Amino acid sequence: MFTRFGDIDRLFGTMNLLQRKLDNLYGAYGRPSGYKWELESAVPKTNLYEHGDNFEIKAEVPGLEKNNLNVKIQGNYLEISGERRSDAPEGYKTHKTERGVGSFSRSFTLPADVDSTKVKATLKDGVLYLTLPKHEAAKPKKISIN
Amino acid sequence: MDRAQEIVKQDERTVEKTHELYEATPAVDIYENDNEILLHADMPGVVKENISVDIDNGKLSISGVRKLKTEGAATYTEFSDVEFVRSFSVPQTIDVEKVEAELKNGVLKLHLPKSEAAKPRQIEIKTA
Repeated sequence: MFTRFGDIDRLFGTMNLLQRKLDNLYGAYGRPSGYKWELESAVPKTNLYEHGDNFEIKAEVPGLEKNNLNVKIQGNYLEISGERRSDAPEGYKTHKTERGVGSFSRSFTLPADVDSTKVKATLKDGVLYLTLPKHEAAKPKKISIN
Repeated sequence: MDRAQEIVKQDERTVEKTHELYEATPAVDIYENDNEILLHADMPGVVKENISVDIDNGKLSISGVRKLKTEGAATYTEFSDVEFVRSFSVPQTIDVEKVEAELKNGVLKLHLPKSEAAKPRQIEIKTA
């Protein structure tokens, strides 16, 4: 018998945990689960957020240097391209290579035009952060009531 | 005390441990030379403070927690906060005291030096 909402929450918590375990089991047992940089689909995973006057983009680019990356913007069209080079050391025997190398290109159509002159891009800990200010016309406006 | 109250009281004592974060297996490259085993692991977005490397009884476990600050409403997301977890068997001949780790551009590089006894030795052949 459930006596409190907390009990129901706990039940769902347990169910979610089981679901995650099952996802892990059937998805890619013993293999990197979704974080492999595959050559066939060599595109970094990307998140897009809308934050007031800006769009914020985050992309996973582990092992890439600043000069391995290109960001191009035109209107609401954004293109991120780059190349991941091998960081295999000299004179070592290779046992396992899962991380993959190669070049990629990915393009996005943003929900609105952005001001390409004010775009900021930062690379930190293998994640590319882009701040894209919206074009004047696309900014949220406050309408005053007379 | 009725039965319902009893159940509530018992629940408050049991602490359930559940992983809040999704677990992912990081992609790993492994290299070896005469002196060391070198391990490269992709861990984008993980900061130094959130990485732990443990070697115990021939088992190497690496774990890195990624917590990214997000602002605004998500239009779409392909990745989220995650815990990168992976473990390996390592030979007992690894010199645990001298293991070195570096983190750069979201890649963890782990140097596992072999102990002196395990290194290959050139044996001189004497002619009688």
